[in-house]
Amino acid sequence: MNRFFFLLIIVWINLIYSQKCDLSISGSILDLHDRSQIIGALIKIESTNIFSQTNLNGNYRIEGLCAGTYQITIQHPQCRSVKKMINLQSSQRINFDLEHHINELEEIILFDNKISKLRNSVQEVSLDINEINTYGSNTMVEALNFITGASVIKTGNGINKPAIHGMSGSRVGIVTDNFRQYDQEWGSDHAPNIDFNSFEKIQLIKGAAALKYGGDTSGGLIILSSSRKELKDSLFGNLSLNLESNGRGAKIISKLERTYSNGFFISGQITGKRYGDYHAPNYLLSNTGLKEADFSIKLGKDKIVKGWNFNYSSYSIETGILKGAHIGNVEDLFYSLNSSIPRLLGEFSYAIDAPKQKGRHRKLSFNYFKVFEKQTKLEWGYNFQVNERKEFDVRRGGRTEIPAIDLQLKTHTLIGSLSGINYKNWSFELGLNGLVQDNFSDPKTGIKRLIPDYFKYEAGLYILGILKRNNYFIWEWGFRVDQIFIDAKKYYDVPVWNERNYSTLFSDFEMQNIGNQILTNPKLNYLNYSAQTGISSKIGEAFQINASYILSQRAPNTSELFSDGLHHSIAAIEYGSLSLEKEINHKILFSFSKETGKFIWNFEPFISKSFDYIYINPTKLQQTIRGAFPVWEYNATDVFLTGADVNSSFYIDSRFKLDLGVSYTFAQDVLKKQPLILMPPLNTFQKFKFKPRKGSWDLELVNHFSSKQNRYPNTNFPVSLIQEGKLISEIVDISTPPAGFQKLDLYFSINLESKTKLKSQIRISAQNLTNVDYRNYLNRMRFYASEVGRNFQIQFTLNY
Amino acid sequence: MSIIKNLFRIKIIFFVLILVYSCSKDDPDAVNQQEYISNVVVEIQSSDGSIQTVDWDISEQNSQSINLTNNNDYDVEISFLNKSNPSDIENVTLEVIEEASEHQVFYEFAEVSVNVTSAGNDTKDGSRGVLIKSIWNTRTSGSGVVRVYLIHQPTNFEANTRETFGGFNDVAIDIPITIIN
Repeated sequence: MNRFFFLLIIVWINLIYSQKCDLSISGSILDLHDRSQIIGALIKIESTNIFSQTNLNGNYRIEGLCAGTYQITIQHPQCRSVKKMINLQSSQRINFDLEHHINELEEIILFDNKISKLRNSVQEVSLDINEINTYGSNTMVEALNFITGASVIKTGNGINKPAIHGMSGSRVGIVTDNFRQYDQEWGSDHAPNIDFNSFEKIQLIKGAAALKYGGDTSGGLIILSSSRKELKDSLFGNLSLNLESNGRGAKIISKLERTYSNGFFISGQITGKRYGDYHAPNYLLSNTGLKEADFSIKLGKDKIVKGWNFNYSSYSIETGILKGAHIGNVEDLFYSLNSSIPRLLGEFSYAIDAPKQKGRHRKLSFNYFKVFEKQTKLEWGYNFQVNERKEFDVRRGGRTEIPAIDLQLKTHTLIGSLSGINYKNWSFELGLNGLVQDNFSDPKTGIKRLIPDYFKYEAGLYILGILKRNNYFIWEWGFRVDQIFIDAKKYYDVPVWNERNYSTLFSDFEMQNIGNQILTNPKLNYLNYSAQTGISSKIGEAFQINASYILSQRAPNTSELFSDGLHHSIAAIEYGSLSLEKEINHKILFSFSKETGKFIWNFEPFISKSFDYIYINPTKLQQTIRGAFPVWEYNATDVFLTGADVNSSFYIDSRFKLDLGVSYTFAQDVLKKQPLILMPPLNTFQKFKFKPRKGSWDLELVNHFSSKQNRYPNTNFPVSLIQEGKLISEIVDISTPPAGFQKLDLYFSINLESKTKLKSQIRISAQNLTNVDYRNYLNRMRFYASEVGRNFQIQFTLNY
Repeated sequence: MSIIKNLFRIKIIFFVLILVYSCSKDDPDAVNQQEYISNVVVEIQSSDGSIQTVDWDISEQNSQSINLTNNNDYDVEISFLNKSNPSDIENVTLEVIEEASEHQVFYEFAEVSVNVTSAGNDTKDGSRGVLIKSIWNTRTSGSGVVRVYLIHQPTNFEANTRETFGGFNDVAIDIPITIIN
């Protein structure tokens, strides 16, 4: 009755003002994403009972309207409703775009965020960043301690480098939002310059199976990515604050994300960390503090069938290096090794003095994608990274503030790919990428360059294929070819150039003599082929078997080629070699897993053989003004690796869960018939988790055990000392690994939910609960000091 | 069609990048090595005024030795030089003197006994002599080695062995020494 009355008024008003009621609106209603017509959508004029429906062509028409202002609503059962105000003065064509199949789209997003495995025939480990954060890990790499087969090469507490199946450095690639990370990854004391908090997901692949990102990572790949945004209007964020007793430090992370139903999103994130000197159980680790400040901005538009995004991130870190680890020569190293505590102990401080490292990494990227008919997806992207690395030593004459190493690496990358090219049961992906890299080593350091100036060009091409007969059998393969060209300009000492026979081997690299130095222009070319093939088969619903073969080839990195100088922390003179060939690795990986039921497990054995494997070993002693130093030279050999990782989870009942992880790697230099250096020993962890049926808290106890590494090469060397008026010779034992260790961590967390949207969590944890004093074979600081002692942490997280 | 167009766009950007880069860099400058010590010069003056000089040079085979007589005093002066740029020889000793509070010269003898004390005109940090100028008193005859140290940031200046000094070595060289009766 009311409505009728209202209509009457409108009609009356219209009669007065226009007198003419023969106008019409018409048009078509299309899907926002794939431009298909939407059939059966309802077009309603609000406050009237005038409506129309789209026909089979997606067209609609409403006639007999008077001039005036109307609110139009378009509805469809599978779409989000759209409202629009129109001012009608004459007949119009108005087209509307609807977000069709909203449920399906949300499913695509969910699928992309959860399941998207990179390769099907290789077991991969996915982790949620939030999950990592709850363990209070300070770096992404530390979090790898909970992934069997992965380990961490450390330099003290603050510098962590990932290793997979014993391989690290250039043999492990890191990918962030589609692009490889390019920093000075070659150095054993160079941690990846990445803040993992700006991503949502970590995937780890053991082996160079993800050919999309390169075929040179025989160890494996760590892939960090952002989740796909949901198509809805929302604003959410979180804030997390960590306070720690050891290091008396804090970490703060804050994220804010705004998404719109039209696919537009913008998010920002900041991370700040500040720690003072850490404590080993029995003494202070002087000058081991760190500070870090990072931020990132991501914005873009994801329309499911096409989209773009733009990312910028900035990372900066300053890490102190244990004061007691600064040594001048092998004699100092000998005394340090024979002292049970660091030779320099100080008072607690937040100050970070030399020796220290400063790292800064900035990244800018742009990605675009479009999905064509039949799900074929085109992607391309451009990325620019600038990495700055400065290392400071204790120096004379007020030069401590001048870096001893000052490198700037600029990298441009371009990627393009075409995926989802489907033909019958096959699906193919094609892609290419190009890279231009410019390294600058600042001569203002006043110290000979460890790494020279160089340009590096890379061009790669790959094709991947996958055959999916049914849900029970998948066969996939891939090929990749990379052309790498290095154009360096380096000064050699003339005696070194001659002694190494470069003057005959590489005489065409010579440019000019300057004093007792020679400027050279090494131009090196490598053509690398890599390939992967594997099957994945399901046996029943519970069991799965994967088997995969991977061929990877890696060009020597610039450190392996050009390294030239004194490495202070291990008192070694390091020389690269221009004669190195590309390294070739064959790897076979299996995985057997049971993924359902109360007891789930997987078992992943692997074997691997590398030819021309590049490694560094001591060759002789060289007399310097600081005494005799061992000379370590890069060389090539053949190596054999095998090992296995086991993971299992046992759900005792709905309250108790037990996790077990074990991994072991056997590594042998086949030519020299001796073990490889710095391989992780047998490692295992057990996690016991209790969560009551009612109540919102849980408790977790974690036990880590690492055995002594009994397989190691002998790299000891002699030192002559004067003791009690006699010249004696002693052995500097840098080879013998420390004893095995066991440590306990405890985590307690409680969720607090208020009636508003706020959700918060408090987490209390204790790491190294029993304050065990131990040293870790994979920590280069093991020569000088023990690992950090007990640490209490309290973490507040607020989601809003 | 639009696929091809897109791929083409990528290629163009890439070639432009290569062009921009490949013609834009000068040859790197040779590093002017600072702080570096290439020579350690030990000048020994006996009471009769005769002078022996041992110039230990990093780029040479060093075979010079020190010859002394037992139960004698010698004035010894040490200096550190950077000759990496022959046209601009740098006297690093001046830096050591300037940072006297962080440095200590130390001599350790094997097979012979020599008592080393700070000379009256030595560089001092408070009452401690840095031993840039020292007096050597020979105590036993024989032939052995003197190890010459320049210790940076020692933790214990009162020490009498290299191990107990702490800090780290900026210089550690061996010079043969013979003391006759």
